[in-house]
Amino acid sequence: MAAIKQPKRGSLHRSEAIWGYLFIAAPLIGFLIFGAGPLIGSLVIGFTQWDLASPPEFVGTENYANTLSLSLQPLARELDEATGEPMYRCGRERVPESRLNEFTTGQIDPITNAPYICEVRYARASSALPSGYEEWFQFGIGEQRYIVGAIDPVFWKSMFNTFFLLLSLPITIVFSLIFAIAMNQRIIGSNLFRTIYYTPVILPIAALALIWLWLFNPDYGLINYALGQLGLDSNINWLGNPVTVKPAIIIMMVWKGLGYQVLIYLAGLQSIPRHLHEAAMIDGANVWQRFRAVTWPALTPTTFFLVITSMIGVFQVFQEPYLMTNGGPYFESTTMVMVIQQNAFRDTQMGYASAQAWILGVIIIAVTLLNFYVSRRWVQYEAS
Amino acid sequence: MADVARSFEQTAPKRSSRLGRRETALLTKIAAYVILLLGAAVMILPFLWMISTSFKTDSSLFVLPPQWIPENPTTENFQLAWEVGMLPRGFLNSTYIALASTLGEVFTSTLAGFAFARMRFPGRNKLFGLLLVTMMIPGVVTLIPSFILFTRLGWVNTFNPLIIPILFGSPFAVFLSRQFFATLPIELEDAAKVDGANWFQIYFRIFFPLARPIVATLFVLGFIARWNDFLAPLIYLRSVDLYPVPLLLARLDSVYEQNWNLLMAGSTLALLPILILFFFLQRFFVESIAMSGIKA
Repeated sequence: MAAIKQPKRGSLHRSEAIWGYLFIAAPLIGFLIFGAGPLIGSLVIGFTQWDLASPPEFVGTENYANTLSLSLQPLARELDEATGEPMYRCGRERVPESRLNEFTTGQIDPITNAPYICEVRYARASSALPSGYEEWFQFGIGEQRYIVGAIDPVFWKSMFNTFFLLLSLPITIVFSLIFAIAMNQRIIGSNLFRTIYYTPVILPIAALALIWLWLFNPDYGLINYALGQLGLDSNINWLGNPVTVKPAIIIMMVWKGLGYQVLIYLAGLQSIPRHLHEAAMIDGANVWQRFRAVTWPALTPTTFFLVITSMIGVFQVFQEPYLMTNGGPYFESTTMVMVIQQNAFRDTQMGYASAQAWILGVIIIAVTLLNFYVSRRWVQYEAS
Repeated sequence: MADVARSFEQTAPKRSSRLGRRETALLTKIAAYVILLLGAAVMILPFLWMISTSFKTDSSLFVLPPQWIPENPTTENFQLAWEVGMLPRGFLNSTYIALASTLGEVFTSTLAGFAFARMRFPGRNKLFGLLLVTMMIPGVVTLIPSFILFTRLGWVNTFNPLIIPILFGSPFAVFLSRQFFATLPIELEDAAKVDGANWFQIYFRIFFPLARPIVATLFVLGFIARWNDFLAPLIYLRSVDLYPVPLLLARLDSVYEQNWNLLMAGSTLALLPILILFFFLQRFFVESIAMSGIKA
């Protein structure tokens, strides 16, 4: 009898296994076709030059070299062609060193009606950089001025911009923590507040971007109007000024993402056992001390989750700048995904764009791993 | 807020410390209300401004100080946005893309989640781990080869690239449904097994009816994600006839730049379906967030 039962049990298990593989087949096949395949594919394509019209051409690491190459050069002073004297610019005039005191002893600039401001003039950027390189940025150490050039300065700018947008993260975390704690005070209407804060999270960015374009309008936008009412500078060209464009996009991102974090923090707050707070209160801890000793440690795993997921999201920001500024002015709001999208789908440089996508992917994974590494120092999981 | 509460506690006489505590609680609540109302105002004002602008005539658009309630409200903008924005077509396209892809995604993902949670087969945990790892792959890295694949298949300017990859299920949805099925009591499948039902029958007769919460949650999350998607339609769709709502809005913006009343009317219309969905299915949003957030 045992001999008969044995194969039957085996076939039952085999049938369970077959059904099991059948059930998980779709996601696994999907992973192979749309995950692992393209992942390896883009790594391979990244070593080629490919415009899709002609066959791909193997170019080795050239795409990576062109994307990442930087050149740091000292920038020479501009010299007068005849006398070889260093040149200055005072107002709109070019002034050799020997005539400088004609402008720096309190003379009035007729254009600004103020005393002349004189600056050192430097040689043109292109003369300092190797051929093929364009200016990314300049900086000065003491008297000496330096220029940093790149073969693809737009990519480096986009990388800087993308990292800059990470500033939205701590801002969102601080605000959402405050709102979540306020909602957790067992007040009437907290569900309504939760709904209001969460609404932008689920709405299409395309529509929200249009609203914020209108809010940021320099002449008739609500934001400048409100600033004017408060007696502040109301002449800000938010999205057209290189200095304010990134903060403006951050403001929009914080507004859009806040509700999600509030909800997650609220869930985290509600899972803190009441007796911890009560014990702290009996010990005479004040509100801030209770926050430091009880609330914040209990929320560190939640914060860690939010930091990881939001960082991955911010590194892939595309829609907000694409719709609000198209990356401008002067590429000051171009993000890495925008560069990749343009290189791939506007200029059909599939190899070059794939290499850049891999660089971004490696940055994301490196930052995520770094986060996990650093988390050991600040994330406190419950001992039990 | 902290200082107020503290000074109050310190100055309260010991005898009536209970009263002091109650009033501290009251102060805390007032502070919470003030903070939440300020925040809510910031969250809501852009929407009110959008609605207000969408009823404005061209002449009252650039009036300072801005009018919250327009002087001569008009509904013309909605009509115009509806027609020149091709929004009826857009709603159909968006609904079709979101519905078709999400229904398939939920079906395959919950089935796989069930298998990973309730069935025994060699390599199960390793395969599940593999699927989790794929969640870490940034979408941008797979974008270009996928585009080339779909170009070769002749799928550019069709809905296929927006729907078919999703039908295979998403690792995140598999993960969430596995967590759900793992919490159900263990005896459930035994009775059916005795009856000689196969696993497909066990799943559909016993587990699927119980899985309604997770199915609804995954459906809502997936539907919204597809509806709001921008990059994939931008890359794959060429004809305006096929555009979903977000692309049509971007197109409206590029054609009617600075016509804020028209653009805001278009945005209002574009937001309505999702807003309605949100207010009816709010419970599932909140549950899904709690589930995905805490267990991750």
